[in-house]
Amino acid sequence: MPRDVFRLPESSMAVRSMQTRVYTASDDTAVMSASAAALQDMGYAIDEVEHALGVISASKRADATNQMQAFGSLTLDSMKCAFSFFLACDGKNYGEIDDVQDIRLTLISMPQQGDDVAVRITIQKMIYDKRGRLSAQATVTDPDVYDAMFAKLSKAVFLEVEGI
Amino acid sequence: MTKKIAMILTCVTLSACASQNAAITESGSQVHTRHMQTRVYDTLDRQDTLRSVLATLQDLGFVIDTADYEMATITATKLQEYRIRMTVTVRDRDDSRLAVRANAQFNDQAIEDPHAYQDFFTVLDKAMFLTMHKVD
Repeated sequence: MPRDVFRLPESSMAVRSMQTRVYTASDDTAVMSASAAALQDMGYAIDEVEHALGVISASKRADATNQMQAFGSLTLDSMKCAFSFFLACDGKNYGEIDDVQDIRLTLISMPQQGDDVAVRITIQKMIYDKRGRLSAQATVTDPDVYDAMFAKLSKAVFLEVEGI
Repeated sequence: MTKKIAMILTCVTLSACASQNAAITESGSQVHTRHMQTRVYDTLDRQDTLRSVLATLQDLGFVIDTADYEMATITATKLQEYRIRMTVTVRDRDDSRLAVRANAQFNDQAIEDPHAYQDFFTVLDKAMFLTMHKVD
């Protein structure tokens, strides 16, 4: 086991900032409702809600295929098949390309001082290949993903708080 | 001969079952395990304590699997090249303190290294301070 699994990396403040937005709302229920609606808009199923703690966990399965990766693997398999005089046509490389991904996230809304509610999202993904084997798992750290998610969330919170 | 082979196979199967079943209840020293997995805080605010646990888990890259305020239990998973699953519970220790207990698995193995739990509680200590004092 790596020694640092429960230690905060130096980048933790930057990561926290990337994963957090603060909204002005009189109560966190409105923020949670808007968040759940935004997640539904994005096709997520809600797995867990605990209102008293501001927790929403959600997940969805999505396509993970990459055209370039698929083309490369098919080419390799075809060459292997031809050069082995059709004795090694197992499609192994194509079977190892990414197929689907399970995305799971947690959204926590936390009341701050005054009328502010902070929302923090953490996202993970598990990628499976064509044979159904887990090929990769990771925490999502791409700022663009969080920006895009908060753009939708901000709109939903605005509509909810303004009662539109 | 066939009888002998059948007996050997039965023994092998039974011992495999027995060793698999042992995992259901196995544990180290209960007192030692509880001690390293528990930290006591001078507060009775269960909600703020649970919110601090959530903030700590998010800081460490976990996604929350389940969270229950009434039962004061949170389970979360961290995915990197490895998988860590952790459960944290909050209970009254006495009339002025709460006890936070965490236990975790690294891939398929229970984490028994006290330093790992010390690291976790070091991060939780900071989150508790920030939550109790409402610092951003």
